Amino acid sequence: MQISMFNQTFELPSDVLAAWIFTIIAGGFVLLYVIKKKKLPLIWDYIRTTNHRKIGTLYILFGVVYFLRAGLDAVFIRLQLAFPDQSFWVFQQEKYNEVFTTHGTIMIFFSAMPILLGLMNVAVPLQIGARDLAFPFLNAVGFWLFFFGALFFNLAFFVNQAPSIGWTGYAPYSLNEYTPGVSTDYYVFGIQLSGLGTIFTALNLIVTIFRHRAPGMKLTRMPLFTWASLITSYLILIAFSVLAVALYLLMFDRLFGTAFFSGSEGDPVYWQHLFWIFGHPEVYILALPAFGIFSDIIPTFSSKRIFGYPTMVVSLALIGFLGFTVWAHHMFTVGLGPMANTFFALTTMTIAVPTGIKVFNWLFTIRGGLLRMTAPMLFALGFIPSFVMGGVTGVMLSVSAADFQFHDSHFVVAHFHYVIIASTIFGIFGGIYYWYPKITGYRLNEKLGKWHFWLFLIGFHLTFLPMHISGLQGMPRRVYTYGADEGLTGLNFTSTIGAFVMGAAVSIFLWNIVITHRRGVTVGADPWNGRTLEWTVDSPSPEHSFDPMPVVDQMDPFWYAKQEKRQLAICANPRPAPPDEQSMIPISMGLSLFVLAAALTYSLYWLAIAGGVGIFVLMAIRSWTDRTIIEEEEEA
Amino acid sequence: MVLKRFTLVPVLLMLAGCNITVLNPKSATGKDQAFLIWFSFGLMLIVLLVVFFLFFRFVATYRYTDKKANFIPEDVHGNKWLELTWTILPILLLIVLAVPTVAITYNQSPISEVLKKDEAVQIEVEAQQYQWTFTHEGGKTSNQALVIPEGKTIRLQLKSKDVIHSFWVPALGGKVDVMPHKDLYYEIKNPEVGTYHGKCAEYCGLEHAKMIFTAKVVTEEAYEQYVKE
Amino acid sequence: MTQGEIVIFKDKQLGFFIYLGVETIMFATLFATYMIFTPAEKGPHPADIFEWKTLLLSSFFLLSSSGTLMMSEKGLRSGRKGLLVLGLFITLLFGMTFLGLEILEFSSYLQQGYGTSASVFFGSFYVLVGLHAAHVAFGVGWMGMLFLQLGREKHAASFEQKHRIFSYYWHFVDVIWIGIMVIVYIPYLL
Repeated sequence: MQISMFNQTFELPSDVLAAWIFTIIAGGFVLLYVIKKKKLPLIWDYIRTTNHRKIGTLYILFGVVYFLRAGLDAVFIRLQLAFPDQSFWVFQQEKYNEVFTTHGTIMIFFSAMPILLGLMNVAVPLQIGARDLAFPFLNAVGFWLFFFGALFFNLAFFVNQAPSIGWTGYAPYSLNEYTPGVSTDYYVFGIQLSGLGTIFTALNLIVTIFRHRAPGMKLTRMPLFTWASLITSYLILIAFSVLAVALYLLMFDRLFGTAFFSGSEGDPVYWQHLFWIFGHPEVYILALPAFGIFSDIIPTFSSKRIFGYPTMVVSLALIGFLGFTVWAHHMFTVGLGPMANTFFALTTMTIAVPTGIKVFNWLFTIRGGLLRMTAPMLFALGFIPSFVMGGVTGVMLSVSAADFQFHDSHFVVAHFHYVIIASTIFGIFGGIYYWYPKITGYRLNEKLGKWHFWLFLIGFHLTFLPMHISGLQGMPRRVYTYGADEGLTGLNFTSTIGAFVMGAAVSIFLWNIVITHRRGVTVGADPWNGRTLEWTVDSPSPEHSFDPMPVVDQMDPFWYAKQEKRQLAICANPRPAPPDEQSMIPISMGLSLFVLAAALTYSLYWLAIAGGVGIFVLMAIRSWTDRTIIEEEEEA
Repeated sequence: MVLKRFTLVPVLLMLAGCNITVLNPKSATGKDQAFLIWFSFGLMLIVLLVVFFLFFRFVATYRYTDKKANFIPEDVHGNKWLELTWTILPILLLIVLAVPTVAITYNQSPISEVLKKDEAVQIEVEAQQYQWTFTHEGGKTSNQALVIPEGKTIRLQLKSKDVIHSFWVPALGGKVDVMPHKDLYYEIKNPEVGTYHGKCAEYCGLEHAKMIFTAKVVTEEAYEQYVKE
Repeated sequence: MTQGEIVIFKDKQLGFFIYLGVETIMFATLFATYMIFTPAEKGPHPADIFEWKTLLLSSFFLLSSSGTLMMSEKGLRSGRKGLLVLGLFITLLFGMTFLGLEILEFSSYLQQGYGTSASVFFGSFYVLVGLHAAHVAFGVGWMGMLFLQLGREKHAASFEQKHRIFSYYWHFVDVIWIGIMVIVYIPYLL
């Protein structure tokens, strides 16, 4: 369909049109709901909030929204690949390339990352007895940077300019010469914006964990999810800084005439190095928090402390460290030479050791316990065998000469979906079921939770197990079709069925949220018979939590206090809480950077200057009005 | 039911292995790679089976039943010897895996310059968006159809005119990226007669999926004939 | 500062140090980029265009501004407001002079026709030294804010905090400049 506007003709494909119609109708319903139920004050409150639970909720909410969008992309991919030589709707060539690009990018940057950051936001302060993150204002800034980065990236599709360079954005294909127009700029700026927000949040978490623990909460008594968040935050600081520079250089190549990644002098492999120095640790940034979640869920529902706590911490740190030494295993085929290939093959294998230790320690936590099969526990248990299946194919991939065959085939697609879904997505679902009472005060329906788990598990294996074989049968990644004579038909069709089963599982999850809120049965502070401090505060967690402040005398303090039928000791004068405030500045900062990004994308330099000035003015206002909480208390 | 499904996995893979392209290779290069795939898969199968066995056993044994409602598990902090066991055994397993990995990787890795002079059949592979051009030693060129002689060492010299592509003939081995402004060399040793699918394996744009070619391995005489034509 | 304020300030201090760590990684990546791409095969050799005079002059102003800022910090600690203001003012002047010299240097390259697209060497030079200059410019604006807040006696404690955090930033920017001297300029001037 073509539309004429402003003397220009726009091409409007039917999928974009459908998206517009759907969004407008859905938006209308949401608006109606908001007005009818008088939710506007609530939204106004969340827009200005700096409270960790509320920001965590926002992260999770938008992460789930983008999860649905990227999930829909996946369904389109699977429909297009269901049969050989098939033409499903518009999803061939350009549209197919767009849809796998947005699927990957959104799932990683705008779905998995924000949901994990959201869970950290909710749980970390509550687990260590902090009243909020160290810098609540910065926390809000971080969230709004993610929000506007994600919004910017997603808008590209609505103006039919979705990027089509793959989530890896390999040069020189991602440069002006081969992808002219604005689509790739949406990728560059969308990720850059949300990446900066992620860096701020990681910094915030580190300071919180080091300086805001309750009295007696030594590092050696910290819950493992907090440990995982701490180590992940370090990985974020390093990896996302490198990504920021990589995108900065890509931006210069695209907009300002440099040639780092192309031509006879530039080097496309340099982009790959930078991208994977970020990209491989990113895998652990996604996985470690999930490991942390499982390390909290499994002891809780086994009624038994974690097996080998010190080893669990050390192995987290080792995985994080080794994660920076393996990036070139994504580049075995680019001709780095036998030396480099061997080196990176060996470093990659070593990661299997700490990961294996964790798996066995989880198994031996279960051993001798009393396993309550709740929804969070099911996800944690489902994780173990599924993740190990992804782990062993990871070791197979590290065998560099064998990787010449695996590389960029569906075998790799199968491998990374196994590890990421089994760890991150299972972890996210498990974490949401587990902490839902802390976020909302309600517990999600257990029966639907079990349906959700089993369908998701079955759908997941059904989708990705056949991909190992289709890869070995010779199916490359990122192809929109294949021949009928290649022996791929049955495998691909099975995968498509699996994708629909997963879709059904996610629908059950959404329905579960709806009916849980409709029924509105609140649960108390400790619905799971928990072990750690978050279960001592009310559900949902109050804005002034830990009043009075508990004193921690051992690991899993709440559990042992309950066992010995005593109360946790109280600390009379805890350290001052972080300043608590409401502010419009964070959202305005996000908005200015959004304007700046849009202006640079469309080369509107006057608008870019306006956006840039906006951000500095906002920083000045902040500096002018910023007060520490102590002053306010003294004045009051 | 779940148990069944998981144990079926390796069985299915083994059965399917009989006619999966990569596991049924038609060159010495591909056979080395297939060996590594089977070897690593075998080692990993040990790990997989151990984990699955312990997992299903523990879950079955220790799950909650109403009889155990008042049971409070014993608090186990850890066990140094057990933890050492599952640190050292995987390391040994990986060392076993590392040996052939290093050996074959050293032989097969694509390289950016060739110093030795030998009998290898040289073929220039030039990729550009959505097509392949193959140039033989005598200057004979062809598009989308690679013809090579059986039983020889084939040395491919790969270059791209535009973006990064990747040369892949699953039945013969591979793959190797095709880079702009940088030639790479890759060897396929001892191919067997037959016609095989060839593909571009690095995403390169609109028609990446259609950037395919055929790789035809012929007898030495037929090859001589072909090059002269 | 009161006891409570000191605790909160220590949070900020740690947070800001971590932020500087992030900046260090970013600059390190840009230094690596510069070293990989310089000298370039085509276009002018860095030895032909860098000048000792420009480097020494701009280094003089930026590096001594760290000294004048220390003077200001001393004034802050000992409660001598005159010293504080004077030190900060000279730091501001030096920072602005450095920026001016930087603009002159860049524009002289541009006049010779060497923009970002002249060669990969120039590209990596501009993204690195340009980003550093942007940091100096930001610091200059920050000092402006400090001057504006100087008179707000009611927030004396928070002024002290702002001043201290700023001085970490400014010294950091200077350290990066030393890196630029050693890695970007001097190897091609010797």
